[in-house]
Amino acid sequence: MRSTTRHMPLPAGSITKSLVSRDLAFVAAGFVALAIVMKMHWAIDFMIFCIFVLSYDLLYGYMGHLSFGHMLYFGAGAYGSAIWLAHVNANPFLAIMAGLFAGALLSSFLGLIALQTHGASFALINMAFNEIGFFLIHSALSDYTYGEDGLSCTAGKLFGFINFYNERHSFIFVLVLLLLVFWLLRTLTVSPFGVLVRSIKEDENRVKFLGYNTMTYKWITFVSASILAALAGGMFTMIQGFVSPITISPFGNVDVIFAVLIGGAGNLYGALIGGVAFMLIKNFLPVLIPELEKLVPFQVPQWEMWLGIVLLVTVFALRKGLVGFVRQKWQHRRQVGVVS
Amino acid sequence: MLEVKGIDVSYGHARVVHDLNLRLDRGEMVFIVGRNGAGKTTLLKTVAGLLRPVKGTITFQDKEIHGLPAEKLARRGFRFVAQEKKVFSSLTVRSNIELAAHGAGEDLDTALKKATSIYPDLSRFMDKKAGGLSGGQREILLIGRALIGEPKILLIDEPTEGLAVIVIEDIFRILREMKEKVSAVIVEQNLSVVSRLADRIYIMKEGKIIKEFANKAEIADITELERYL
Amino acid sequence: MIETIAYGCTIGAILYFFSIGLAITFGTMHIINFAHGTVYALGAYLFVTFLSLMGGVFPLALAASIAAMLPVAYVIERFVIRRLYGESMDYAMIATYGVLLIGTELTKMVWGTTPQPINDPVGISLSLVGVYLSLYRIIVVASAIALFFALRAFFNRSVVGRIVVAALEDNEGVRCLGIDVNRYFSIVFVLGSSLAVLGGVLYAPISTVDPYMGFDILLLAFAVVIVGGMGNLNGTFFSALLLGMVMAITGRYWSQAAHAMVFMVMAIVLVKDSLFRTIRRLFGIRTA
Repeated sequence: MRSTTRHMPLPAGSITKSLVSRDLAFVAAGFVALAIVMKMHWAIDFMIFCIFVLSYDLLYGYMGHLSFGHMLYFGAGAYGSAIWLAHVNANPFLAIMAGLFAGALLSSFLGLIALQTHGASFALINMAFNEIGFFLIHSALSDYTYGEDGLSCTAGKLFGFINFYNERHSFIFVLVLLLLVFWLLRTLTVSPFGVLVRSIKEDENRVKFLGYNTMTYKWITFVSASILAALAGGMFTMIQGFVSPITISPFGNVDVIFAVLIGGAGNLYGALIGGVAFMLIKNFLPVLIPELEKLVPFQVPQWEMWLGIVLLVTVFALRKGLVGFVRQKWQHRRQVGVVS
Repeated sequence: MLEVKGIDVSYGHARVVHDLNLRLDRGEMVFIVGRNGAGKTTLLKTVAGLLRPVKGTITFQDKEIHGLPAEKLARRGFRFVAQEKKVFSSLTVRSNIELAAHGAGEDLDTALKKATSIYPDLSRFMDKKAGGLSGGQREILLIGRALIGEPKILLIDEPTEGLAVIVIEDIFRILREMKEKVSAVIVEQNLSVVSRLADRIYIMKEGKIIKEFANKAEIADITELERYL
Repeated sequence: MIETIAYGCTIGAILYFFSIGLAITFGTMHIINFAHGTVYALGAYLFVTFLSLMGGVFPLALAASIAAMLPVAYVIERFVIRRLYGESMDYAMIATYGVLLIGTELTKMVWGTTPQPINDPVGISLSLVGVYLSLYRIIVVASAIALFFALRAFFNRSVVGRIVVAALEDNEGVRCLGIDVNRYFSIVFVLGSSLAVLGGVLYAPISTVDPYMGFDILLLAFAVVIVGGMGNLNGTFFSALLLGMVMAITGRYWSQAAHAMVFMVMAIVLVKDSLFRTIRRLFGIRTA
């Protein structure tokens, strides 16, 4: 399997605190700018999606395991929280915990099964689990989930003062969460654990021969990625106040795969860029298309077609995503001596 | 006839063959000898067109051939016999030869005659599934397949590996029959076979050719060869 | 119950037509081809159009649909699949998924999103073992069985078939005989795609034709291929029938669970080895 080219990981500890702080500040500034340019609630949606993309990047980008069923855990988090709010109490902290717990429980068990497989089988078995999950939410457990109609839920104030229905509160909270996740993954991926996970992506057998039980590492990574996805799902519920089966729909996996690819797999910044890029396309293309249709005499294809085209283009031309593309240009300029 | 100049070949991230030079003249039977992991198979596969060199050139009859795919080279007369003795096990022996004939553009009867001429016993197994053959029989089938059509260069990877002594003698006989009729580059670890058949010997170590033996007397002296391994 | 089994056989037959192409592409090129769903759906839609254009003559419309889809399959093979040879499986899946999306959108653009119902072209029911069975569905199942034997003959007796079988086992060996393996794989790809079109057309009168039918059957087909053994073409037939049955029987008692049940079977098959190991370990039975 091809690996993305990356600079050699620095040993743990040599990433100075200032570098990390710089990154975090950068990301924060980026999203604040976004919120200023667009409406704040767009930015919040973008950030929630970015958390989801980050979680997927851990699984696919860093560990190299493509899954067509990660939405299951987003949905688990979303529905876990929603069901708690709707049927137990309005405490948002407990609700989010419920969502995370659902994600953790599910992924611990399903991960044990799925990680027995590799490559295409792994991708497909996760898709199968996603489908089963969708079926459960949509039909089997519709008494609790209200199936197709969706579930409305209201959350109280978190820690007594954070109000999810206040845009400014939500924005700051989700931003802090995003930065936390970013920092967490940053630390994880340069740690010895992270290096090991990346090595598993390169050549699992070699890691096994070195004496490591790769299954343990894979499982931990899988569960972590799923918990983070559930976190994104839980936040979705808090902000929206409503969940529907679309949050667990297997079709949603394309979105996040696309985001990771277009940004550059295995790169945290890439995940963020990809996430933002995707959300921009998803939200603004449908607005553009009717405008375009006014201009041209024929029917303009809907946005799914563009998504398909971009997927093809990314695989054949922009394999390393935007970040990789930019990096290559940068390195090339360095080599040619333009940049000192 | 065949010239390999300064080739580097990578396998994944590892550079397996370094700056290697090799020569094969028409009618010669050249052997490559070396320990496991020296890069001999990689070298052979590169000449056969299954791998591409990262650097360097390979010319055949004054034309550059490096980078051409295996099927094109096969049609130009290259025949590669792999180390694992893989035959088309779910097909019969006859069908194995039939595919070789199809690829070489030769008619089936001529092909079958050629195969049985090097090893008459093969006719007994014609309708047996190739997967049921013993190691030695497989190697003979593979060499038979390689001789279909108009082979110009045989590239054989460890023909006697894993075979019993009696069978090795069979292979030895077949190879000796082929000497001077076909040019060949053969990777082989059995020094007895090597020293009795070779026109020239290359010793390969860690991806490089470290010694070439062209002198008949030197080649006949196995202990001398062993010194370089 | 007999009707359920008959229905299961019919679904199994359709699954077989569709899955065989997927199994071949995976066995030969190690590519999971999501675009297979597109040829299926597009073929079915073309059939609907041809049917009305040709005055409702089923076989004519069928032939026309297959003929019309041959160039489409060729284009997909030439410009997408061929570029994915030797690539990592992930990219193959993503790229072909892109084709699927594009194809689905094209279908929606041309034909709209409302499902198109087709009537039973034969319209005769036979009385067999005490129940009325649609003759059309019997024909479908019979065709699948005929296909099974035809494919066996193809792979065992024809030169092309033997080349593909040999290449499945030893790709390099075939190439070193001077045979352009990729060209034969392309031929088999188009063959497999045509079978998918056939499946789509045959399925049209049984259910409705909608733009997302490709997606639906794809997942089921993956299950069929996995349960049958990836690359095992004979196994595909039996697993298609089996899973068709699973769907029909499950559907009888709990209609929405039909798909989910298929995936449960697939999941079990995927992990059966480690499942058995775990069970043995749990019960203290020593493994060899």
